[in-house]
Amino acid sequence: MRDPILTREYLKRRSFIELSARDRAKCLFDSGTGLELAGPFDRIESPWLAMQDVTPEADDGCIVMRGTIGGQQAVVIAFAGAFQGGAIGEVSGAKLTAALDLARADNEKGIRTNAVLLLETGGVRLQEANLGLAAVAEIISSIIALRRHAPVISLTAGTVGCFGGMSLAAGVASYVVMTPEGRLGLNGPEVIEEESGVEEFDASDRSLIWSVFGGRQRYDQGLADALVDDDADQIAKTVRDLIAQGVPPVHRSEQIDLYRSRITALDNARQWNPEELHFRASQNKEENR
Amino acid sequence: MRGLILAPEKIVDALELLLKPGDRVVLEGDNQKQADFLSRSLVQVDPKKLQDLHLIISSISRPEHLTLFELGIAKKVDFSFAGPQSLRLAQLLEDGKIEIGAIHTYVELYARLLIDLIPNVVLVCAEQADEEGNLYTGPNTEDTPVITEAAAFHDGIVIAQVNEITGKLPRVDIPGSWVDVVVQADRPFALEPLFTRDPRQIDDLQILMGMMVIRGIYERHGVQSLNHGIGFDTAAIELLLPTYGESLGLKGKICQHWALNPHPTLIPAIESGWVESVHCFGSEVGMDEYVAARPDVFFTGGDGRLRSNRVLCQLAGQYAIDAFIGSTLQMDADANSSTVTKGRLAGFGGAPNMGHDPHGRRHSSPAWLNLVTSPSPLARGRKLVVQIVETFRSGNSPAFVETLDAVAVGQKAGMPLAPVMIYGDDVSHVVTEEGIAYLYKAEGQAERRRALAAVAGVSPIGLKAKPEETAALRKRGIVAYPEDIGVERLQANRSLLAARSMEDLVAWSGGLYTPPPRFRSW
Repeated sequence: MRDPILTREYLKRRSFIELSARDRAKCLFDSGTGLELAGPFDRIESPWLAMQDVTPEADDGCIVMRGTIGGQQAVVIAFAGAFQGGAIGEVSGAKLTAALDLARADNEKGIRTNAVLLLETGGVRLQEANLGLAAVAEIISSIIALRRHAPVISLTAGTVGCFGGMSLAAGVASYVVMTPEGRLGLNGPEVIEEESGVEEFDASDRSLIWSVFGGRQRYDQGLADALVDDDADQIAKTVRDLIAQGVPPVHRSEQIDLYRSRITALDNARQWNPEELHFRASQNKEENR
Repeated sequence: MRGLILAPEKIVDALELLLKPGDRVVLEGDNQKQADFLSRSLVQVDPKKLQDLHLIISSISRPEHLTLFELGIAKKVDFSFAGPQSLRLAQLLEDGKIEIGAIHTYVELYARLLIDLIPNVVLVCAEQADEEGNLYTGPNTEDTPVITEAAAFHDGIVIAQVNEITGKLPRVDIPGSWVDVVVQADRPFALEPLFTRDPRQIDDLQILMGMMVIRGIYERHGVQSLNHGIGFDTAAIELLLPTYGESLGLKGKICQHWALNPHPTLIPAIESGWVESVHCFGSEVGMDEYVAARPDVFFTGGDGRLRSNRVLCQLAGQYAIDAFIGSTLQMDADANSSTVTKGRLAGFGGAPNMGHDPHGRRHSSPAWLNLVTSPSPLARGRKLVVQIVETFRSGNSPAFVETLDAVAVGQKAGMPLAPVMIYGDDVSHVVTEEGIAYLYKAEGQAERRRALAAVAGVSPIGLKAKPEETAALRKRGIVAYPEDIGVERLQANRSLLAARSMEDLVAWSGGLYTPPPRFRSW
């Protein structure tokens, strides 16, 4: 991981952020193995958007692809940030849940199948509010059921970021991968500003936003497991390595005491500097012990 | 006071003492830098002691510029540009709280400082001063020399705010003998990154238009010297030069000399050896280290830093370049254009200076001669004035309209002139996503209108185009669609851009460019 971006070498990379959700999914697979399921020609689109004067899309902004990664079976589910900010609705939610459940069924039959979620999403789609919320609940329970058998990897590269209910899905994943351009958080900057005022959070201050939600901060906090450049080859390699690593001995969301103790230690009467919340160094020390 | 140095806490008293009601006062508000300590201090004077000032501000940028009118401290304004305050300015005008002398081009406003708007007091800003009052402006010299000169040699008072007072200046931009009062500001002067465009926001249509400009205008006419506006479409052109332009073998043939601010999106072209020289109106936040490292391209002083100068660069852009290319918000059937739309009084800045054919030009260049259409031995060449505009703006409102909003705005405000930015008869080319209208070639007003309609898409103007007339215009080379000039629509996508993000620009600069925080997404 570079720090910071400086050299001409960086220009030679193949940018992952520039890729569409479909191409992002495809580039993670072993060459030629990615096959799209329930694709746009199956025309499974949201029945709710047209009623609200929003043009639906034939894949509902959710791409499901199956193939092999590093020789192992895998399913990649990618949200298209370009459609409705990647927000999750009834159909896209059902596609994601079904993909995870089929992967679990294969695992139970002895065919190890890994899952990768490409999360560029503002969370629940407001036009399908309750159905979207229900979808988030189903997704979380499907991830938890699958992650016992095979790793579920969440990847947020940018530029939309992963917010709202879908940040909870990232939270229960086996591994979280981010780029410095990626953002991860429950309430997005605009929501915080709207709820608590501009004094609490200035949503136009990009350096503040990235210092709180950005990939580097999440990695330093220990909330992301890998920080990778916006480079399709490096990202694909990171995903392959994590799949090869297999199910982690303990998932992040199972470490209830650790995270509870961190929250308890936070004095929310004072304004914290994001850098004070870097736990990775100490965490690594604990792990080494 | 100690010599010329005034204690900062005395500034409001000093302004009340040195300014008289009704004085003509230049408040340095440039395109980029702002004498904000002085404007924030002027708002604090007692309106009972000081009122009805006639302000001259090249760029009305800061909220307190207009608060002065609400408080009655100022009454009349002459200006060039009001982008950030355009809505509030329109409202104040409607409420009768402000009187507008005129909306100028930059050069025109500076010229009047020497003729009929000679200032009584000027309030300017610089980075550093010494005890003698010599000023160092740093890379953002901008408007300071001309403003100061207008007052210093005609019994006017020159008051300068500086970031710091030091013993030895890196260089002298304004001699101390021109300056009457120096005051150290409470914080460094405000500086806006107005010319930074994030490549991430450039879309495929802008890339298509950029490709058309490169082939159908720059290559066709051999444009060697030019100015670019600040739109994403011109940023796209800058980023296409090292890729698309290179593939056409155009390096060294086009776009070598620029009158331009240090646009971050020009970095890849500079680094690829396209650019021989750039003279700047002002600097750009974050570009200082990069510019200092390229003294072969930019104008730099003995201290290594950029020396910019808005009036000189505007003059260069008026008289010495082959082509100006900029965008507009509205254009009518005769190619008149304006950025003044209902409820928004934005002004024009430098566009009309550079966006016209100066009839006082007497030197030739290949591109200038290439626009000759008359066989007469006395025929003269012509500057390329190119307007680049998508047929529809955001929110689905057409950019091509029957009547400019500027006409109604001008009438309502009682202006003697409708605020037109660039008059149609100055425009030589119009580029849209549909194609290029070579208006300079059209014979007569009716044919000119047909040529413009042919590229105006499904806007009210474009719907007047008749397919058979358009076909005839294409045959005669008065209108070109992408396929007529060898531009492939399918090739127009972001993978053609030399940089697709701010990170890429930093990488191109070898880490010398430091984007301001608001442009960082990492």
